[in-house]
Amino acid sequence: MISQEEFVRFAKDYNEDYILLLTRASRRHYNCLITSFMVLKDFYNMIQVMFDSGQYRYETLPYPFSFRADQVLLKQVGFDDEAVANIFGFLAFVKETQGMEFEDCLEQGTSAMCARVT
Amino acid sequence: MSQAAIADKIQGCIDQLIGAWLVAVRKDPRIESDDILTQPELIDHVPAILEEICSLIRKGETPGVRNVNEAQVNVYTRFHQGYKGRDLVRELSLLRITLLDYLLEISLAEPGGLDAEEWHTAARILNLYVDEEMRYAISVYSNPPSSAQP
Repeated sequence: MISQEEFVRFAKDYNEDYILLLTRASRRHYNCLITSFMVLKDFYNMIQVMFDSGQYRYETLPYPFSFRADQVLLKQVGFDDEAVANIFGFLAFVKETQGMEFEDCLEQGTSAMCARVT
Repeated sequence: MSQAAIADKIQGCIDQLIGAWLVAVRKDPRIESDDILTQPELIDHVPAILEEICSLIRKGETPGVRNVNEAQVNVYTRFHQGYKGRDLVRELSLLRITLLDYLLEISLAEPGGLDAEEWHTAARILNLYVDEEMRYAISVYSNPPSSAQP
């Protein structure tokens, strides 16, 4: 059984990792970022499923995973115009390199990535 | 009409649907929190929500915790905007009515209309989507995080 304290730590870790990945995108460090986002999306889903069970409460809300339409949130977090442009540039980079949208890539999961590697 | 065609119709009218929803929210005397928001702040994630609903209708996917990402963004944003929970529920209710009205409009405008099953399948997905957002909102608002921002 996962304790409330552990749950709070999960949400905190998620928030830190999320900002880390966005920071990498904001500096155009796009390599391998999609697989990192895939792993983080699974972590986010796990946290949300746990929260949905009604047995846990947030001390701090996790950042919403989707950032495609969220220029306001990205600026609130502290990214400037150039950084936000680079983060959105990552979405274009995924489309160009994977031949599909970022969200579709996440949905298809690692099987899509493996198919491209082999 | 296929579910993909219904999704295309909704997607093609997102601007008009947002416009109708915006008027309904601004005119509703029971919603107070919108006074503090500018029009872009109020619209915020609603277009992305409609895009996500269209995607789910197109794929015939049932909305659940794992695939209502934009709904979760909307709750997060409204919570941090200082929007009242009851106003968010009313705002979502108006969005649901706007979409259901549009489904009826599609049904009446098409020569053959939508048959009962086609209407039901699309309406079920959009209802469940709105319900998922309300569920998340109620969970967050009824047990507010002790720290507002990460």
